[in-house]
Amino acid sequence: MNLQARERREAKIFLVGLCVFLALMLGFPSLANLWFSLNEVSFHNLTGDGFAGLNNYKEALSNPGLWKALGYSLKFGVIATFLEVSLALIMVFTLHPLLARKPWLTAILMMPMMVSPALMGVMYRLILNEFTGIVPGYLNLLGFHVSLMGRAMVQHTVIAIEVLQWTPFAFLILLTARQSLPYELEEAAAIDGATETGFNFKVVLPLITPAIIIVTFIRFIDSFRVFDHIFVLTGGGPGSSTTSISIYIYKLFFQRSELGEAVALSLVLLFASLVLLYFGMKLAVRKEPS
Amino acid sequence: MIVTEKSAAKSTTNGLRWLLFLIIAFIINLPILATVLTSFKTTGVINTSPPPIIFTPTLSNYSEVLFTGNTNLLRYILNSIIIAGGGSILAILLSFPAAYAIVRHGIGRSWLLPLVMNIRMLPLIVYAIPLYLMFQLVGLLDSWLGMILVTTTISIPVALVLFVGFMQDIPIDMDEAGKLDGASQRVILWQLIFPIARPIVLAVLLLSFITSWNEFLFGLILTTKNATPVTVGATFFVTSYGVKWGATAAAMTLGILPPMILGVFAYPYIGKSMLSGAVKG
Repeated sequence: MNLQARERREAKIFLVGLCVFLALMLGFPSLANLWFSLNEVSFHNLTGDGFAGLNNYKEALSNPGLWKALGYSLKFGVIATFLEVSLALIMVFTLHPLLARKPWLTAILMMPMMVSPALMGVMYRLILNEFTGIVPGYLNLLGFHVSLMGRAMVQHTVIAIEVLQWTPFAFLILLTARQSLPYELEEAAAIDGATETGFNFKVVLPLITPAIIIVTFIRFIDSFRVFDHIFVLTGGGPGSSTTSISIYIYKLFFQRSELGEAVALSLVLLFASLVLLYFGMKLAVRKEPS
Repeated sequence: MIVTEKSAAKSTTNGLRWLLFLIIAFIINLPILATVLTSFKTTGVINTSPPPIIFTPTLSNYSEVLFTGNTNLLRYILNSIIIAGGGSILAILLSFPAAYAIVRHGIGRSWLLPLVMNIRMLPLIVYAIPLYLMFQLVGLLDSWLGMILVTTTISIPVALVLFVGFMQDIPIDMDEAGKLDGASQRVILWQLIFPIARPIVLAVLLLSFITSWNEFLFGLILTTKNATPVTVGATFFVTSYGVKWGATAAAMTLGILPPMILGVFAYPYIGKSMLSGAVKG
């Protein structure tokens, strides 16, 4: 008994490093955020010119740019996630038998997600370039004359890039779930004379539903906070047509020097994310009691 | 007869699967493929439209961005290695003992584990601004140490989740045997468990390194020149080099190569960490 208590105390020391680190890197900045958001601050006067109350929050929330950016991020997240998960599911259904025999092929499909999204954006800039890019080059040859980076198409283009880079991630998670199913299922289905399509929809789909929920959750959160590839491709433009919420806050702070407003908005977003995550986790835990 | 018909149908489906695989692999990897090819082309070849399939490769773009072009690219690559490597190692040193306390004593299982897993989910821009102000105050802007602290924070979730999953599978007998020999928990952790954890530590190291290498937002905000990682530095080429696509492509290729090579070994663990994390948390 005494020994156990001593061991427990000893083990608590193992957590100290991590906790101190997190308090310093996340806890302290959160508090600093709170302080900055309630005061009149500027780059030159970080201690503040006085108490601002909720002014920063009012300013942040009444800016129509915010709601536009939020709407764009939501649209971007929903469309990209839907396409990624659907395509990944189709890929798992059709490619699993091939990849089960030749596992090394999977690595080729994983390559895009190992690339930094920012550099992926630059590479797309290279191949979509109107004059030297290979994509417009061959599209012209085939008789299609579209400007993929033009005002009319750019919103679709940045979503397409997100989907092309991150469908492999959704595919990998669903494939991992598919591969963990016992082979006896397929044997039983073969004896029953089930077709491959029937087997996939009636047996595989229900069994990998938990993984589908998880991957939808992760992909939505990741694409909702999108920054990198849009930033290097369009900088949020033309106008503000591709300004996501992350780019919006970045611009508030670094280009328009609206410190108080940017910080207040960060806190609102942090709080909203935590609430959303709390309910998301609760849902996931209920679906998967363990 | 029926048998041959069946096997013919089977090989047709198999052929279709191969075809589909090749099409998908080509489309999603097209930018990488095109960039690598462009990096071996001269400016003259790049400006030919439509692009020729066959051309004489040149290494001049690489020698330009690395040595003769006065571009800082070598420095950016060095920065990325130090930042990504340092952050991964620090994340492992902090998470490994914490995972032991969580698994063996249940300390922090109910609050620390969910908290850490939420870090991965938060919009990072939320912390970019206070960290910028904080780093400015203590002089960590544009420094290796500052960036290492950031990549450590980013790497901790995956490290902790994989380590907790690993330690749950280690029998408690192992600890008991160590205790009978009079070993303290610290000795048990680092001298008994850590050695057998080598494969999972390596996996965490690879995954953290890849994630940290590919990080962009904090590199953009917290560095200006000295500690700029290659993901940010390579994007400078687009603006400063204008139409020099050959040099840009060479810089891109060098910037994406390390995580892609490591990714070939690490990708199986990504699926595992995501699924186990979401279920066990």
